[in-house]
Amino acid sequence: MRKITILLAFLLFAGLQGAFAQKTISGKVTNADDGLAMPGVPVVIKGTTMGTTTDINGAFTLKNVPSTATTLVVSFIGMTTQEIPIGNQTVFDVVMQSGVQALGDVVVTALGIQRDKKTLTYASQQVSAADIRIAGNTNFMDGLAGKASGLDIKMSSSGAGGSTKAVLRGNKSLVGLSEPLYVVDGIPFVNNKGGQPGSYGGTDGGDGLSALNNDDIESINVLKGANASILYGSQGANGVVVITTKKGKAGKVDVSINSVTTFEQVSGLPEFQFKYGAIGGSDYSWSKTPGNYQSSYIKDFFQTGINAINSFSISGGTSRTTAYFSYSNTSAKGVLPTNTYNKHNFSFNQSTKLFSDKVTVSSNVMFSNEVSKNRPGAGYYNNPLTGLYLFARERDFQSYKDNYQIFDKDRNLYKMNWYSTEEKMNNPYWEIYNDPKLNTRYRVVASLKVSWDIAKNLRFDVRGNIDYADKLNDYRYAAAGNSVSVSPNGKWDYSKYNDKAYYTDGILTYNTKVGNFTLNALAGVSYQENILNDGMSVTNGTNSLMYPNFFTFANIPFNVMFNQSIDRVIKEGLFGNIQLGWKEMLFLDLSGRNDWASTLALTGNESYFYPAVGLTALLSNMFTLPEVISFAKVRASSSQTANEVPFNRVNPWNSIGGAGTPLGIGGINRNTQVPFTNLKPETITSTEVGAEMRFFKGRAGFEFTYYSDVSKNQFLSLTAPSGSGYSTYFVNAGKITNKGFELTVDVTPVETSDFRWNSSVNLSQNKNKIVELIASNPDYQVGADDEGFASIIKAGGSFNDIWIYEFAKNEDGKIILDSKGVPTKAGKQTLQGNANPDYVLGWNNSLNYKNFFASFLVNGKFGGVAFSKTEAFLDSYGVSKRTGDIRDAGDTMPIDAIKGTTDVTEIDPAVYYSAVGDRNKIMEPYIFKRTNIRLAQFVIGYNIPCQKLGLPLKAASVSFVGRNLFFFYKDAPYDPEQSMSTSNSMQSNEVFSMPAIRSYGFNIKVNF
Amino acid sequence: MKKSFIAILFLVALTACTKDFEAENQNPYQISDEMLKQDYNLVGSPFSGMMYNLFGGQIEEDLCQDSWMGYLNTPTDFVGNVNNTTYYIRWNSYWGRVYNSVMSPSRQVIRLAKENNLPLFATWAKMIRVLSISKLTAIHGPVIYTNYGSTANSILYDKESDLYNLLFAQLDSIQTDFAANKDYKGFVKFDPSYNGSIASWMKLVNSLRLRLAMRLSKVDPALAKTQGEKALNDAAGLITTNDGNFKIGLLGNKLYLSVICFEWNDTRMGAVMESFLGGLNDGRISKYFQPPTDITLYADHPNLPYKGIRNGSYNTTKPLHVNFSMVSNDFKTAQTVRSFTAAEISFLKAEAALRGWSWTGKTDAKTYYEEGVKLSFADWGAGGVDSYLADATSKPINYIDPVDSRNNFTASSTITVAWNESDNNELKLEKIMTQKWINNYTNSLESWCDFRRTGYPKIPHVAKNDSSPDWGVIPADGWIQRMPFVNAERTGNAAAVADATTKLGGKDEIGTRLYFAPNKPNF
Repeated sequence: MRKITILLAFLLFAGLQGAFAQKTISGKVTNADDGLAMPGVPVVIKGTTMGTTTDINGAFTLKNVPSTATTLVVSFIGMTTQEIPIGNQTVFDVVMQSGVQALGDVVVTALGIQRDKKTLTYASQQVSAADIRIAGNTNFMDGLAGKASGLDIKMSSSGAGGSTKAVLRGNKSLVGLSEPLYVVDGIPFVNNKGGQPGSYGGTDGGDGLSALNNDDIESINVLKGANASILYGSQGANGVVVITTKKGKAGKVDVSINSVTTFEQVSGLPEFQFKYGAIGGSDYSWSKTPGNYQSSYIKDFFQTGINAINSFSISGGTSRTTAYFSYSNTSAKGVLPTNTYNKHNFSFNQSTKLFSDKVTVSSNVMFSNEVSKNRPGAGYYNNPLTGLYLFARERDFQSYKDNYQIFDKDRNLYKMNWYSTEEKMNNPYWEIYNDPKLNTRYRVVASLKVSWDIAKNLRFDVRGNIDYADKLNDYRYAAAGNSVSVSPNGKWDYSKYNDKAYYTDGILTYNTKVGNFTLNALAGVSYQENILNDGMSVTNGTNSLMYPNFFTFANIPFNVMFNQSIDRVIKEGLFGNIQLGWKEMLFLDLSGRNDWASTLALTGNESYFYPAVGLTALLSNMFTLPEVISFAKVRASSSQTANEVPFNRVNPWNSIGGAGTPLGIGGINRNTQVPFTNLKPETITSTEVGAEMRFFKGRAGFEFTYYSDVSKNQFLSLTAPSGSGYSTYFVNAGKITNKGFELTVDVTPVETSDFRWNSSVNLSQNKNKIVELIASNPDYQVGADDEGFASIIKAGGSFNDIWIYEFAKNEDGKIILDSKGVPTKAGKQTLQGNANPDYVLGWNNSLNYKNFFASFLVNGKFGGVAFSKTEAFLDSYGVSKRTGDIRDAGDTMPIDAIKGTTDVTEIDPAVYYSAVGDRNKIMEPYIFKRTNIRLAQFVIGYNIPCQKLGLPLKAASVSFVGRNLFFFYKDAPYDPEQSMSTSNSMQSNEVFSMPAIRSYGFNIKVNF
Repeated sequence: MKKSFIAILFLVALTACTKDFEAENQNPYQISDEMLKQDYNLVGSPFSGMMYNLFGGQIEEDLCQDSWMGYLNTPTDFVGNVNNTTYYIRWNSYWGRVYNSVMSPSRQVIRLAKENNLPLFATWAKMIRVLSISKLTAIHGPVIYTNYGSTANSILYDKESDLYNLLFAQLDSIQTDFAANKDYKGFVKFDPSYNGSIASWMKLVNSLRLRLAMRLSKVDPALAKTQGEKALNDAAGLITTNDGNFKIGLLGNKLYLSVICFEWNDTRMGAVMESFLGGLNDGRISKYFQPPTDITLYADHPNLPYKGIRNGSYNTTKPLHVNFSMVSNDFKTAQTVRSFTAAEISFLKAEAALRGWSWTGKTDAKTYYEEGVKLSFADWGAGGVDSYLADATSKPINYIDPVDSRNNFTASSTITVAWNESDNNELKLEKIMTQKWINNYTNSLESWCDFRRTGYPKIPHVAKNDSSPDWGVIPADGWIQRMPFVNAERTGNAAAVADATTKLGGKDEIGTRLYFAPNKPNF
């Protein structure tokens, strides 16, 4: 930072460049919607960097305008850009229209730099924040699904505060998450994901995105490829989600209140039977005799959830200083009883101009606090849904509900009341009442930015940002619960850590015009240090706490280790970008970046350079096109990105753990990894071509991009050969390709003064191919069987290929039965398909009639497979509807099988389902299509005509909102877009995760 | 333009140096070799971990030889009741434990001991390796030893006959090193078994030599006799008292057996133990196991309040067998696990006497047999050894599974405990082996070696045999002979595995007999 100060001092002395004056033009900019003046609107002379912004009254003055100036460009985010011929005119009244067809818009790109979208050489898509907010999603990324092409979003099924997995243009990294970089006001926003459930259990640890206040978001621009993001360095290799927050506007005091309340209901439980119970106290409901048993306890177990988001903001300012403050509260109760989520957000930002408006100092502080209680998990262990679903039907559930704990006189404490000792079966009420799980998050993000207009076309920006998050996960499991997962005195899973991210950059921008050429150039440096997961964790597992049901460090037995963790990286970058324009027709974009990464220390490869190049041609400016075509553009770009490797891989030290010394627990585990001093960064080469066209004066148009990405030098951890002397080693290897297209079509079929209908379609396809992993070992794979389900990455396949055990079949396709007539399982797993969809579709419609508005969003995923282990369990336990129906229908089922040499055509359903279901058996019947089409969002509302009614309000609206209301088509017995885990390997797998949820509610918005 | 160019130069200069990068990329919660030099932890501290890893966990012990040898069996229908216990190999991971947690760290210890001029730590590390590899070869046959640490593409396995010779030679050199440093105190701080006593380790060297020599008594009687007599005659002596038993300190870890039994409810008393211990009125039964709470389970012998699970049991569903006899509550607080006991030495001596080996102070097989039983009773804290040794009538009993009759079996052994000098060698050997097997409870691998070598004790076949061509078929009158080579090696070191299969002398399957267990008469 000291060096930056020196630089600033140096630049202070840099003189102003002289300019040649010709004339002065002035004018006023107003908003067509309300007729009010618009302050802060950039007004520039086209083809130059000469410009200004409007003052508090919407007025602007440009002095010394050269005689060569032909066109005045007025642009503002969310509004249609106006290009006005200058001619001899000197005074201009500019009326700005809300820009739905935002093609001419200024968009915020990498590093917060505003660029005219039409000059971009790569794909980006702007989504207005109002679109994301309106349906009351607690996580803004959830609201983005279907609204930007090429974005595949999965939400954790853990409810409010849960994590998301968003992937642009396919999975590119074998060990990384391939999730985009999130950037808030130009600065990377840490999105450090917590632990995720696996087959055996666990709870979603959330991610960093939930800390944002949705109501602070002004707009989101999705930069889809690595091409867009070279200026962020490796973090941008998976695309960037650029978030711009709301700011105060000069001369305009705005008070806004927004309230969204939505109700959540379980919309899709598995189908059960309640007629047949178990025999002889068995856990398995395979009796052949129907009975009259309780049947509503599963549906009654869930409650109606409520999400209430209430937010308030006040903003305003003078021509010199603007400020914005907001507070938001999210209060949610999940469909799982005892699950709650509460979030407070505070934001404050200001911007002040100093030194004759040459220097702008802006700052931003965001604070959030999230408290989640009993966030639903998934998997076998300590999950209320296993006991709830598998409950032996002939038993009295009500008594287990009323007496979920019973007093144990021997121990003088309460113990779980449950009929089974199985590892995965617990009394569901014991689980929710006596095994409380708490997650708290505190996060502060504070930034300061100084912009200095050194000269008319030379600017220097320097920024600094601190992002601090404090996280606590405190999971307690009561004594005398399940003996497999919980010690007799209880179990405590505790972790407390913080994430710290420091970011600073300095960027010099220079814009000029020479003859027919325009030049936008920038050069900058950045420094970033991320220290994540810095903290400690302890779990006693099944080592007994010293005293029951008391969860403190002092109560941890001597043979449990306290662990400390950290993940840190320093990255320094030096980057430059030049955009060269010719006659408003051709734009050439050149970028280069050199990074230095601390995780590559000792390898000699810690410094690495990568370039990008792009070209845009505005055909509509080059040629005279038929009148029906109002705009035409083609573009192409290619870039390379290099990705640093994870922390502490080059030459780790030894750890303390495991069997101890004669003094006690904690021996030395020597590092047995091969030192990896020739480690290289991963590289991703990304090429895209695209076209944008608009027709009928902009009423219809499309944007199309084809891309091809190649990832190489993947960082892979391998088991060292047994005889090598080491246990693991790392290699740089592999080649992954992602190819596909993104298409956005939008059309306004009807537009009258009263009625407007806009329809847009986002469609994308991605084809992923693992070309090579380890050339010398073609069978090498990442991922392994996980309880009968395997998500495999292997040469010749694709990322997240799903492998499952099928039936053992003879050459005629008959299922081979063993000597006892039980279906047998194939020796090896068989490829079933890929977890990722072939096509992602979003179809969004918005309708306005007078003061009424409505919108509906249809989201579709096509292709891919989904897997439900829950169904496998329900079958083997004889509690699925299928197993009841077949018993009703005569208790025999057809099968095309062979036993020895005898054909078998019928089988006892109990024998059949016991052989296929449960964990790790024949999973073939439980593969479904991921394909699903849903009404993802529906909104209908009314804008209250405040002025007409004489209300003291600027604007007000009420609306009804609904999300995931119903499916037009769904094959899987669960919602495949609600994921039990947002990690890589459990995609499309479902093991007792939360059932599908439908939400509906209302939204009230008032502006003063 | 000139000014901006200068500004850009300044920006270049801004890029901070990268000299902190190396420290930044180190994990401050890991411990460096430099730090470990204090108190000689660098060479000493890995030993407890390496020794702990001489034993496996659930999938390496409990679901393998613990079950195959009838000591224990799982009530759980793992993988649809088709798993290692029923001769279909699902888990094969002891190999990885040996190479990752013993061979790899010991290689570093040997190097560091040399670098730091502490050669006796290298000797000690080699001793741990011999202990570890002698177990691993008893599981797979050929293993990687001589070529361990090679950078060759194909790392070849040692042929068993060569390997045993090499292990004997290494024991020679280890013993020479120890003998020259009898008063060395450097191990005291790090030794979880013998408190750093070199004399005790020297006894273990001799004992291990005797164990391995006896392993070869059928396949190479001459070598076995030479090495066995060498061990028996060595001045440093053998483990002869329970005080000298080689027990590995768990150092804060729980005994796996206890976790598997009490926490996971995944293991219970073996039916074969019920048949032998119950039938022979063995006082150790209450030290090994505990009565089930459900008294109806042992209605077939109400005076013997135990019920075990058959080896390779039919387990339709876990609740059926989960209430059978657990292991004794004593294991909940176990601080050590037995790896080599004085009783085993007595039984080895008894067999050596049968085989006509000679050594200074030799008495006779009967003496050693009875001494072994007495040492074992004392070691396990059981009473009634005198009447037990005198019992010439009680015999192993038949087994009835009260919940699944497919698991029933008829005892095939008709031995009694009392020694009868007029018995033939075969019957004497069966008695010795049966007692050795009972004593070796919780150290099952040695019993599996003895069983494959001698055919004793006479345990039943698995009730449920799921062996298949995938891993090799075990015929109805056979028992599992070995574990296959591991998949990672089959794919990653294929040429060497092919070579090792040749050295094995049969298919890489579970039915192929190992070198030390040829199919020929005991005498």
